[in-house]
Amino acid sequence: MSEMKKIKNLKEFSTSADRFEGANLLCPGCAHSIIVREVLNATNDDLVLAASTGCLEVCTAVYPYTSWDASWIHIGFENGSTAVAGAEAMYKALKTKGRLKQPDRNPKFVAFGGDGASYDIGFQWISGCMERGHNMMYVVLDNEVYANTGGQRSSSTPIGANATTSPAGRVSYGETKNKKDIVAIMGAHNIPYAAQVAPNKWKDMVKKIQHGMEVDGPVFINAVSPCTTEWKFDPKDTMHLTDLATDTLVFPLYEIIDGHELNITYRPKNVIPVEEYLAAQGRFRHLFKDEYKYLIKEWQERVDANWAYLNRREEARV
Amino acid sequence: MANTGWDEFEIGAMLRTFEGEAGDIAGTLQEDRNYTQNSSFSASVADWRIEKPVFNKDFCIDCQFCWIYCPDISIISRDKKMIGIDMDHCKGCGICVEVCPTNPKSLLMFPEQAEEEVEIANWPAKETKEK
Amino acid sequence: MAFDKMELRDIEVWDGNFAAAQALRQCQIDVVSAYPITPSTPIVEGYSKFLADNYVEGEFVMVESEHAAMSGCIGASAAGGRVATATSSQGFALMVETLYQASGMRLPIILNVVNRALAAPLNVNGDHADMYLGRDSGWIQFDAYSPQEAYDLNFIAFRVAEDHDVRLPAMVHQDGFMTSHTAQGVYTMDDDTAYSFVGDFKPMNDMLDFEHPVTHGVQTEEDWHYEHKARQHNDLMTKVPAKIEEAFASFEKLTGRKYNQVEQYDMDDADVAVVCMGTSVETAREVATEMREKGIKAGVVGLRVIRPFPFMEIKEALEGIKAIATLDRSSPNGAAGMLFNEIAGALFNSDTKALLSGYVYGLGGRDLTKKHLVDLYTELQGNVDAGKVTTPLQQFIGVRGPKLQFL
Repeated sequence: MSEMKKIKNLKEFSTSADRFEGANLLCPGCAHSIIVREVLNATNDDLVLAASTGCLEVCTAVYPYTSWDASWIHIGFENGSTAVAGAEAMYKALKTKGRLKQPDRNPKFVAFGGDGASYDIGFQWISGCMERGHNMMYVVLDNEVYANTGGQRSSSTPIGANATTSPAGRVSYGETKNKKDIVAIMGAHNIPYAAQVAPNKWKDMVKKIQHGMEVDGPVFINAVSPCTTEWKFDPKDTMHLTDLATDTLVFPLYEIIDGHELNITYRPKNVIPVEEYLAAQGRFRHLFKDEYKYLIKEWQERVDANWAYLNRREEARV
Repeated sequence: MANTGWDEFEIGAMLRTFEGEAGDIAGTLQEDRNYTQNSSFSASVADWRIEKPVFNKDFCIDCQFCWIYCPDISIISRDKKMIGIDMDHCKGCGICVEVCPTNPKSLLMFPEQAEEEVEIANWPAKETKEK
Repeated sequence: MAFDKMELRDIEVWDGNFAAAQALRQCQIDVVSAYPITPSTPIVEGYSKFLADNYVEGEFVMVESEHAAMSGCIGASAAGGRVATATSSQGFALMVETLYQASGMRLPIILNVVNRALAAPLNVNGDHADMYLGRDSGWIQFDAYSPQEAYDLNFIAFRVAEDHDVRLPAMVHQDGFMTSHTAQGVYTMDDDTAYSFVGDFKPMNDMLDFEHPVTHGVQTEEDWHYEHKARQHNDLMTKVPAKIEEAFASFEKLTGRKYNQVEQYDMDDADVAVVCMGTSVETAREVATEMREKGIKAGVVGLRVIRPFPFMEIKEALEGIKAIATLDRSSPNGAAGMLFNEIAGALFNSDTKALLSGYVYGLGGRDLTKKHLVDLYTELQGNVDAGKVTTPLQQFIGVRGPKLQFL
């Protein structure tokens, strides 16, 4: 096994030679590429990458340009996970058969997908990959909406969000269904490692990615990815929105080891009211009308309940 | 890259990032890599910008917040020091300015046409927080 | 090598599925990513058992759907090794999206398709609905009429598909149950001879070559997409047929068994001919011989290669024929039938005076009997005698109820 990259602090991390390139076509201020950079820079090992169809994919491999400095594959919307699983199977086969061109390398197999590709259309494919025990990592870039196709709701879209297929209107407050708890579901596959991460907490992210790359078996990562276009905030505020997401506990940061050991990895010193998170985004603007203000209260209650649930699981080691 | 005819490219719409052998890419900085014309590193999105960041090294503490949170690999840090901005790849989102912790900020947004020397000469003074 | 070789008799009694599984073993597939579906399941079960018994080295990835099976094959193939799988019917239909992706990415995957009808209504038996569904997917399609051919064509398929001038995936079709589950004598090759025919896998644009990172599966819009599709079509039209001929010739040299893109039976002096695929070819050959005893000069044309369609070869095979019947084993659902249309297209603009009529038969595994074919050849001779097609251009054979005929 190769040595883990040492990243003591941000200065040291900044000596990384990125393997993801600019002049991709992601929106200015897109969090996707911040997450991708933190994931790829967490290791110096060779990478075999995949992406499901979505913003990241359509913006980083538009012929005749590629933004990837490692081998990368895209097949379709639902199968980024299985693409990398197939490559990993071939790696194992060629290793056994002594046919690897560079047998001394220690490649990491990583697939990226948006929440549409992961919570919805590719859910079964990911579940299969997790269940079969491939030595791979799946990273969700969770922006809670089908952003690439213009803002339709996914099963990651939270209650009250204005999406094009769950629009807020005269008699509607937008999305009515609660967000799917995908980390719990993937953790329940009893995989070695599942975690939720956020790009603002880069050290927590890098630690989790490195842990995930070192364990033997499938790893699932859900990364919050604030979307300037669909959440409707100024591109410069991406990191501010990420801070609000983690510090309101709307996106709590935690990990699940072997399906039954939950650790909360970030406890904000000052927990911010959820209302501030909602107020910072155009997709929730209508919730501040008098008739919908009860939803803001309910939001806070849900977030509190989820936080209490995570704390109970952590304490009970389940 | 020029639009070529159907018989003039590799099969499978396959693209290569580097000319020849890549070597230790994770250990090779961008300026030392042998990119092909197909790497988006060879392309530019400078024309996306309405505003551009200007870097004033006098106030920079090399915290590297701008480096880590730049979505476009446009903060050039070498040997743990911030040395400039890659204006071919910067889309002008302004995140680097927002996350800059110095006072005054070491990065500020200006209209694309602004002259860097002029803006640095007129850099705002340290803000005093109201108590 | 760490795995054991298997001693085979010169002639083994194998069904089509086991023959295909043995071929996959002898080709030493690196990765099989598969999902079970009747009637193709025994092919991948066979590979996994060979793996369990150390008769092959590789990875068997048992996935959760056919879509994932082909997705895994694509990932594995792009990584750089020999890849195969098998499916049928609904599974094939679920794979369709990925079939286009595999061929567009020019990945030489071999897919054994054990032909079966498509629901609704659900049916597990053989017809060619799935085979027809794949015909615009950019794959090479070989058709086996027997277990022997299912065995042989797998080797030929790898040899053609993996050639660096080709790099296209290929399907080897056989009829569900009639071929896949019917045991017959199969002439075998010993393991070394068989492997030497396909040779070592030669990687190309492989993701696991870390010195040459590669991007697979890009986006192309109106400025590039057309050129890439045109390139693929060009290679199917110009490069593949020659490689197939070359592989057929080498295979004949090795085994004495000769294959042709268009298999002709008693066509040299024939007046009437049936064009068909799959197990029906053998039935038609038997009936054609019997018709000659009755004074009808009958011949049979079997399609060995469905894609790329052997346009010129079929035109040549049908030269001078007076009446031709095409037998489509898939409901055209509002058209004349794939074979009818392709043959009509091949003969149009030629000097043929042939009378062409189309027949639909055998849906969902319904038998095509010798009597059906006797009647059919008699009808063709009637057309010849009358100097015109005396029936509607499209007739259904063997369906209960009032006679179904159109056009």
